[in-house]
Formats: sequence, structure tokens, C-alpha cells
Amino acid sequence: MKIISDVGPNFFGPGAKPGAVPTDVDQATGLERAELLAALEGKELFELKPLKITKYGTKKDPIRVKSVDPVRYVGCSGFPVDSHELLWLVLDKNHEFDRCPECGQVFKMNYIGTDSGHGHGHGH
Amino acid sequence: MIIQPHPYHLVEPSPWPLGASFALLTTTFSGVMSFHGVANAGLFLTLGVIGTLTTMGLWWRDCIAEGTFQGHHTKPVQRGLSLGIILFIVSEVFFFLSIFWAFFDSALAPTVELGCAWPPAGIEPIYPFELPLLNTILLLSSGASVTWSHHALIAGDRKGSILGLVVTLIFALIFTGIQAYEYYQAGFTISDGAFGTCFFFSTGFHGAHVIIGSIFLTVALFRLMNYHLTNHHHVGYEGAILYWQT
Repeated sequence: MKIISDVGPNFFGPGAKPGAVPTDVDQATGLERAELLAALEGKELFELKPLKITKYGTKKDPIRVKSVDPVRYVGCSGFPVDSHELLWLVLDKNHEFDRCPECGQVFKMNYIGTDSGHGHGHGH
Repeated sequence: MIIQPHPYHLVEPSPWPLGASFALLTTTFSGVMSFHGVANAGLFLTLGVIGTLTTMGLWWRDCIAEGTFQGHHTKPVQRGLSLGIILFIVSEVFFFLSIFWAFFDSALAPTVELGCAWPPAGIEPIYPFELPLLNTILLLSSGASVTWSHHALIAGDRKGSILGLVVTLIFALIFTGIQAYEYYQAGFTISDGAFGTCFFFSTGFHGAHVIIGSIFLTVALFRLMNYHLTNHHHVGYEGAILYWQT
């Protein structure tokens, strides 16, 4: 898309013309700009939808959960969904698997982060 | 640029929450002591108010830097900010509901202490179809002109937007001036029974609301003139407009 090729790697737009009202494409910056440019390409920059549980996770075939941090929480409500009280489990990238103590469903972390940062999401 | 995996704004450590706590404690504490005539309470009240205003200014300055210049205000962050403004305005609506309640409680069935009359015996109320009517017209017109300014901004008409907002602020200043004149001319005070209390309680807090709204709109005008506001990202201005219209 043309607008995106106008944008350099430093993530600054061209700015508004003097005397004109700027648009978001003109001068949004940082994370807001990344979100905007992805939206202009018809993509969603962030995965915010809840995980769809379409099967009962087992040790052989666990529910895989993406994570950019080495540890993350997952709420299990059994299979089918909402068949028991929501229980919060801690998934760890060093664990072979993690199991819900209520229904025995198995989750496995799919670690997609990098080990360089301290993983608290300060995106700068 | 490494992009964080979520759109939310994890704020940096900041001195302003602590600063606001100390300033507000000083303000309320010395305010009460000042009402009770404690020595030097007025000095501490002044310090508290200066501290509160300074903290507010510096804190919101940081918010502008984070949103406009660092790009932390993504769509979900903007939604959160708008929700905060809306909830604040809802709380104010209920505050004014209680003011109206106090008025109707006194006025609809005046007690024998008021001479079974409203306005109570001996009170000369302000005639509502002179200056008060003019002030009503001014405020309604300012609502129209601020809408003009907002729609001009969305349409990309910078001149119209600035002009509409300047007109709004002129209406606001005239309103406040006329109200100050009315307070000066009023034939009763806040200590003249239920009528005086209800009158100055309601018009006083409404006047404070107008003054705060005028400052809020002035900040938006400054940011509009300095190209902070885009045609679709101007949460601060929308908050000011919402505050002004309520």
C-alpha cells in the first residue's frame, strides 16, 4: 500500500501541512502508528481474541497456547467450554506440559518470545 | 522497532500519583482547618491548591506527551480514556441530581419555618427572564458553536474548528462575567436559609463546572492550534466537549 511505503523505519509520518488538520496517517507515531498501518493493510496487529477450545487437550495432543513471556496464565473451564468453574493455571515454557487440576485437560506453552528482553512489554 | 504484543499502555513510574495524594491531603485538611479559623490554615490551603494545580498540569502534560508524541494511545487505550471521562461525568451528573433533590425537597412543599412559601417569606429572588435568560441563551449557543468546531475538525477544516472554539470560549467568558455580576447584585446570601443555600449551592457548582470546562476547552484550543489533534484522534477535545455539554 502506498501510504506504508511513504513511512520510514523510524515510524514517523510526514506530518500535517501548515494550515491543515492532520490525519492519523499524517502524524500518528509509535505503537498507535503500527496499529494504524496494520489496519490499513486489513490486518490486526494484536491477537486479542480468546483461545478457541475445539477439543479436549491431552498429553499426546495438548492445547497449544502462544506466549511472548516465559510464564503466562490460562483460564480452563473444561471441554466443552464452561463445563466447570474457571480455574487459572500458570503455564511455564520450561514445563513439559501443564494440566488442569479439575478436568485434567493438558495445555502446552508455545513460546514465541525472545529471551533478550525482560519480557514486561515495555515496547521501546 | 520491537512491537509489544498487546495494545495496552503500561505506564512508566511517575511522581504524580504521590504528588497528587500529598497535595489533595493538604488541600482538604487545611481547607477544613481554615473553615474553623485555625491560625495559618489559609497559607496551607494556598500551598495545597497550588500543589494540586501544579500536579494536575504536569500529570496531564505527561499524558499529552505519551499520547501525541510517543504514540502510546492505541485504539483500546483511547477507549479506556473515553470510558474514564464518561464515568467521571456520570458521577458529576449524580452530584447535581443531589443538588436538585435538595432544591425540590425545600421548594415543592415549603415548611412552616419558610412561611409555607417558596421563595420563602422575606426573600427577593432574581427575576429569571432578564440576565439569567441571557446566560441560558449564551450557554446553549456555546453548545452549538462547540459542535460546529468539533464537526469542522472531523471535516478537516482547521480555520472553522479554531474559530468555533474561540467563539465558544468568548460565550463562556461572558457567561462567567454575567454570573459574577449577578452574585454581586443578589439581594440574599448563602446563609439566608434554604433558598440562599440551594441557590448558591447549585449555581456555584454549576459556575465551577463552567470555569473548569472553559479551562478544559482552552487546553483543547492550544492543542488544536499546535497540530496535536488529528481529525479522528482527539480524545482530550471530545472529553472537553462532553464535559461542556453536561
